[in-house]
Amino acid sequence: MPEFKHTVSKRVVVIPAYNESPVLTLVVKSLLEKEYSIIIVDDGSDPPLYSHVQNMPVYFLRHRANLGQGAALQTGFDFAKKLNPDLVISFDADGQHDVTCIPSLIEPLLNNEADVALGSRFLSTEKTNMPFTKKILLQIARGVNYLFSGLLLSDAHNGLRAFNRVALDKITITENRMAHASEIIFEIKKHGLRFKEIAVTIAYTDYSKKKGQSSWDSIKILFDLILHKLFK
Amino acid sequence: MSGIQLVLLTGVAFICLYFVIQLKKKLLDLVLLLALIAAAVLFILWPDITTKLAQKLGVGRGADLVFYTSILIFWFVVLKLYARIRQLEKSFTQIIREDALKKASGPSSNEPVSK
Repeated sequence: MPEFKHTVSKRVVVIPAYNESPVLTLVVKSLLEKEYSIIIVDDGSDPPLYSHVQNMPVYFLRHRANLGQGAALQTGFDFAKKLNPDLVISFDADGQHDVTCIPSLIEPLLNNEADVALGSRFLSTEKTNMPFTKKILLQIARGVNYLFSGLLLSDAHNGLRAFNRVALDKITITENRMAHASEIIFEIKKHGLRFKEIAVTIAYTDYSKKKGQSSWDSIKILFDLILHKLFK
Repeated sequence: MSGIQLVLLTGVAFICLYFVIQLKKKLLDLVLLLALIAAAVLFILWPDITTKLAQKLGVGRGADLVFYTSILIFWFVVLKLYARIRQLEKSFTQIIREDALKKASGPSSNEPVSK
């Protein structure tokens, strides 16, 4: 494993990871090459992910029990605040996000045109190999998010996002599981944050497809959302 | 007194006993519980009352009325339990998160970062 020099970057990438050992090191390496500070939140993986990244200059946090991606993100955000960053980027650990998408993602934040930049799979002109059922489900999810939040976005559940300091301090994720993606949109609306959607490409590898959401998961997300609205 | 009445009354008696032991201090809960117990005993001993009540409410049989109200109570309990689970999950998350933040390791060494 090559040695990376640790540089203190004001651009922090938060990677929530749950049992992602096969690709996590590759993802982290690709990010370190671009000199981002990295926070990995191991969401109670079994076996723990620490051995995969212990030689790398990253911040490593571990949930002692599996809570869900939303909870892992919030833990990462809480920790990121201690590093006093300019920007925080959320990045999936399963290798489906592309490091080269980050510069265009954070551009509106650097230009102070937006507080939050949301990656979108549907703005890209490039053809992706997205499975058909996934496409349909994401369209439904879009509609559901619109009904709940009043914001119609082109992509509903994309894990690649960037937040500036204002957004980082205001947004709080309480939905531990996948409903957090919708909750972030609610929070954007609630705090009147400026947001922009940026085209990103997503690689649907066999690995990420296996690790990703099933159709049944979307029913669970909807249920979580209804409960979120009921008990708030 | 028929067999089913005996069975149901024994059940209600046990539930009552259990809750009284559990809820000794909470007066309001106790009052509510006693009202429910009284209603249960009343309906078990004189099942015709449910029929009369049902007909007043436009439901055919007393058993149906009991069935419908049970569904309502069932949903109420389910929602209460969900609220409770979410509350528990919140505290659980908080504990796990605090632990993770406390034990975070930094880039240069394996030493903890936080104070």
